[in-house]
Amino acid sequence: MNFALLSMTLPLMTALVLLFIHRRAGSVVIIASLMSLAAALAALYQVHLFGVQQMHLGGWQAPLGIRFQLTPVNSLLLVFTALVHSLVALYANYSRHSITNTTDFWPLALLLHSSLAALWLSADLFNWYVTLELLGLAAVAMVALSGPKAYRPALHYLLLSLAASLSYLLGVALIYGRYGFLDIALLADVTQADATTQAALILMTLGVMLKAAIWPLHLWLPSAHANAPTAVSALLSAVVVKGPFYILWLLWTEVAPVELAQTTGFFLAIAGIAALIWGGWCAIRTPYLKVLVAYSTVAQLGYATLALGLLLYWQQTQLLVALWLFVIAHGLAKVSMFLVAGEMQATLGSKRVTALKGATQTMPVAMFAFSVAGGSIIGLPPSGGFVAKWTLLQLTLASPIHWPWAVGILIGTLASAIYVFRVIVISFNRADPLAPDFSPDRFSHWLAMLPALMAWLMAVVSVQLIQFLGGLP
Amino acid sequence: MTAIQLYLCLGVSLWVLGSLGLLLAKNFIRRIININISGNGVFMVMVALASREETIDPVLQALVVTGLVVAVCATAFALRLSVAYAQSKQVSER
Repeated sequence: MNFALLSMTLPLMTALVLLFIHRRAGSVVIIASLMSLAAALAALYQVHLFGVQQMHLGGWQAPLGIRFQLTPVNSLLLVFTALVHSLVALYANYSRHSITNTTDFWPLALLLHSSLAALWLSADLFNWYVTLELLGLAAVAMVALSGPKAYRPALHYLLLSLAASLSYLLGVALIYGRYGFLDIALLADVTQADATTQAALILMTLGVMLKAAIWPLHLWLPSAHANAPTAVSALLSAVVVKGPFYILWLLWTEVAPVELAQTTGFFLAIAGIAALIWGGWCAIRTPYLKVLVAYSTVAQLGYATLALGLLLYWQQTQLLVALWLFVIAHGLAKVSMFLVAGEMQATLGSKRVTALKGATQTMPVAMFAFSVAGGSIIGLPPSGGFVAKWTLLQLTLASPIHWPWAVGILIGTLASAIYVFRVIVISFNRADPLAPDFSPDRFSHWLAMLPALMAWLMAVVSVQLIQFLGGLP
Repeated sequence: MTAIQLYLCLGVSLWVLGSLGLLLAKNFIRRIININISGNGVFMVMVALASREETIDPVLQALVVTGLVVAVCATAFALRLSVAYAQSKQVSER
């Protein structure tokens, strides 16, 4: 547990120091993120050795105190968050096109990191509200970093995020008024399927669904993510939307009574399929590269929502493996895609997908990174995306009556293949390549490749990952 | 209807009004005010729930205080952002 706390507090402390010291902020953040990564790995190893761990903050026992817990899922998510932050910090510091290396990006990135870590560790409805607000405020401030053109999307994002938090808070108030507990382990034993609980769960679900951009509440995501600076878009798409998702998962698997969870699971699964199709369709149609990548996030979150929905609908807990593998594989691939998209946009001086004509010739490394990441997004074997999709399909194909879900997954895969190949086909059009405005920055292209390669590496350790999450006996 | 039920109903209706206003209003200042109205509705529900018994529940009141701090910070940030937005619009119109 101590290592997990270290992984959370290191970024917080460094962020506070950076508010006063501005020199060499980038290097400091890289070191802090890497140290946090090391601490998170140590915490993961502790969980591997000793199993689930609990901590009561300040020695106060529940129900009054706040409980932190460290489980296989959240220790893996701690590692994932620290890894993504280290990679993005490396990019933001060393890329020539990164507009974030001289701004307030550094303390904000660290605050975002530590509020996410706090969210993963919490197991308390109200603490989640606080971490959700911290996460939202840091994320909005980071969107606004890209200057006046981003103020409008940032404001929209902030207002929606506040409305979502209030809806969540009203749900929390109703739950507390009904049961007198906030700790999810205590609530798990007492919740009943009555009207108050139902209303409270619906309010909380609406709030976190809006924050996690789950269809049909995803409309704010493309403009906010596409208008942010490159490094910020990568962080927002890869890790920030996963925070509320974690709350949604624990809310319905731990707190909610089974009969309510089954009904909701069905609707969540439908929403997941709709997100796959709608997000995929918008990504196929949009003329802008970053918007394409942002819509791909909406579609990929559809897989995670589908996995969660089916988990609840069938009450098959091993689907949590598919759920979290999707989240991690998508996060790594999406970091790579956003970094490449930002690099190519800055080098070519155009936001359009058609500007990539001949990019395989002028920027081979960047295009290769995009294709590698795209391969994991589509779910080509042997990538992380494939492992996740396979664990989901295995259960879906196990019984013939589940065929509609399998068809939905396949349509989603087809859509993602179309939008990834759309970019790749244009980039191979070498007849009349568009000349870059600047000489390409090879080093940052390689940096952008790193997370994509890690997404494929996940396939190598897939057996250990699945066992660790509790999927295989 | 007891006083507590009245406050609960008022709180929920404030929340509904604020949320509706947020959806319908176009002006950013109006939307920020609407958010605050719906926030106050939620806090009213929490305070009403806290005073159901003779001894007032301190946990809910502590939650309200935390919520107020968050609401003040978020409102300040939203106001600053909307001012920046209005200024950037003026510059681009000139």
